[in-house]
Amino acid sequence: MSCFRQKMLVVDLTNNTIEARRIPKRWVDLYLGQKGLGTRIFMEDVSYAVDPLSPENELVFTNGIMTGTIVSCTSKLAITSKSPLTGTITDGSVGGHAGAELKYAGYDALVVKGRAASLKYIYIDPDKAEIRDASFLKGVGTFTADKLIKEKVGEDQIKILAIGPAGENMVPFACVSSERYRQLGRGGIGAVIGSKNLKAVAIRGWMDVKVKDIQKCMQIAAESHKADGILESEYMLYKYGTPALVDFSQRSGLLPTRNFQEGTFEHAENINGEALKALRQQKKACFACGISCGNFVRAGGSQVEGPEYETIALCGSNLLNRDPEKLIKFNALCDDLGMDTISTGSVLACMMEMTDRGVHDFGIRFGEIGKALSLLPAIAQKKGLGAEAALGARTLARKYGGEQYAMQVKGMDLPGYDPRGSWGMGLGFVTSPRGGCHMTAYTVEDEAWGNIDPFTFEGKARLVIDRQDKQFAKFSMGVCDFWALKTETLGRLFEVTYGGKWPEDKVIKAGERIFNLQRMFNVMAGFIRKDDYLPERFYREVLKAGPPKDIPMTKAAFDKALDEYYALRGWDAEGRPKPKKLKELGIENELIERYRKATGL
Amino acid sequence: MHLIFDLSLCTGCKICQLACSAEHDQVFNPEKARLKIMHAYRDEGVHIATKSCIFCKKCAKTCPEGAISHNGKWMIVYHEICTGCGICIEACPQGVIFLHDDHAVICDFCQGAPKCIAWCPKGVISFKGKGGRI
Repeated sequence: MSCFRQKMLVVDLTNNTIEARRIPKRWVDLYLGQKGLGTRIFMEDVSYAVDPLSPENELVFTNGIMTGTIVSCTSKLAITSKSPLTGTITDGSVGGHAGAELKYAGYDALVVKGRAASLKYIYIDPDKAEIRDASFLKGVGTFTADKLIKEKVGEDQIKILAIGPAGENMVPFACVSSERYRQLGRGGIGAVIGSKNLKAVAIRGWMDVKVKDIQKCMQIAAESHKADGILESEYMLYKYGTPALVDFSQRSGLLPTRNFQEGTFEHAENINGEALKALRQQKKACFACGISCGNFVRAGGSQVEGPEYETIALCGSNLLNRDPEKLIKFNALCDDLGMDTISTGSVLACMMEMTDRGVHDFGIRFGEIGKALSLLPAIAQKKGLGAEAALGARTLARKYGGEQYAMQVKGMDLPGYDPRGSWGMGLGFVTSPRGGCHMTAYTVEDEAWGNIDPFTFEGKARLVIDRQDKQFAKFSMGVCDFWALKTETLGRLFEVTYGGKWPEDKVIKAGERIFNLQRMFNVMAGFIRKDDYLPERFYREVLKAGPPKDIPMTKAAFDKALDEYYALRGWDAEGRPKPKKLKELGIENELIERYRKATGL
Repeated sequence: MHLIFDLSLCTGCKICQLACSAEHDQVFNPEKARLKIMHAYRDEGVHIATKSCIFCKKCAKTCPEGAISHNGKWMIVYHEICTGCGICIEACPQGVIFLHDDHAVICDFCQGAPKCIAWCPKGVISFKGKGGRI
């Protein structure tokens, strides 16, 4: 027994079967765990051409190799699938306690395939795994689902991942909730779960997690937590949590406002870290996390763990919402209905701008937050105007002739950073495998919030690639973004938990391998250079306030940066990884052959 | 003399339990910790509850084999005598005793330097007793 049991549970909802399967150790040696392992398991069985909402699509739940240990920030659980929002491969991760619980139940991964004849939930503990009737959960929100399952099982220490009505109705940006308040938000994985007639996964575990060398594990964990100061009460993510970023973005002129038409919000201080701290009831942590970034807040009859920065940006400033109580209510409703706050905010902002500009009158304008709040349940139910919003920003905008007002890349709505305020972020958004996402290359820390010029593409391709490779390794090793640990430390922690030798260059190469593996899937699915662009707004319009004021980020400059990026990656001019490069990275031959066959390369 | 918890500071991370099982059993497993942290979201909000040995000595008094004693500071279980009958588990008012490898497991204060206190990142756990010391 160790922290990697090589064991995955495969649940086939069509045939009503459950079996345990062995995970090849080689896959961890190549793809590390969580994100990487989830991608590899997914690609073993699922075709790039699969319809995301069909029974043939799969959901691969993976925890990290270090999940369940005392190493901080390692509790996350990832779910990999093909996204109904983007058509790309997508993986999201969620904190809380569910990832560790799956490890204590004895599994490194859970695969869900097929489609059940009626609504089900899956129960897993070390002694049994069962597909159970969930008809009593039909249509309920994630908060109620969590409560009712605990009552049904008769244990409130089980950890539950559940979808809300939005997931059941296959809204393409439906999310998955972990213990009500933690969300696996992006890419519509909640809709894939809903398409399988699955409502929830309930997990309870009590098995040991052993590591290679527990004395060294304790020692290195203690030393590295201390060295990086993550346990300190002054650590920004403890003191404020992510809302602290509002002030940074506002100062840098990149806080999305009025559907990314502006980069500063005159009422930012109403919804910043200090304002939300005043409403905080309690600090909350994920399992084994010494940081405790979570803020449990209560206001105006709503309670929520949040709102996190992305929610504040997309559902706050971007909609001209300056009322923290309404923001908290918005957040709580989205969590309960099971919708990603970024995409929900984005589609509403898109409708508001299209109404403003007279492209189409959706009857909702910037600042009309009461209307937005009343629309949220209708989106989850796909009723009336809500059914239009439930298309997601890109599809909705296309339908009504205003595609340029959808702020997205590959259909994935952009997060809370205007790329004109930190150009590397733009390059990161377009090259991120799951579409417009900030998680793979957070260059804003180096640029607008650091000391590298944010308004140039000089050196940015290299910067973005370095960040992406390290981040893919880190996420695959299962470490949360909020511990900015050195890659060398990451390798040492992997050595004392999983085993083997993991020098920095080997860790980074694994990250690059996983990044390319996801790109391979997307290229096979038809995504090439033409899909690697930002909405036209960012090339054509300049921001009018703050540091980016009047600085144009031209498409020509962006194209040049993309050329440089592809070349440095070893990809061709269309952004397709060359088979030679994939071989160099050590990706398995059978995958490369499949890629060659699909692409003709 | 026993552990006390300032729940206003507790974040529910369970690091204390991992430190406990690592110290005593060289594994990570909250279920094997000598102290219990229950953490769940309920309608009224986050619910965290803790349980730990209060050194009431009821286990020692009820043990039919005389396998448990109190050394003046903490509990000692004599493994060679303990039969794993479980009578102490029923006697424990805190519900924190459990069986592992067929013998009773009770908090031993890590022989005077509790790892739960050392590892808690938020200073939740401390001693209740004379001057806060054992």
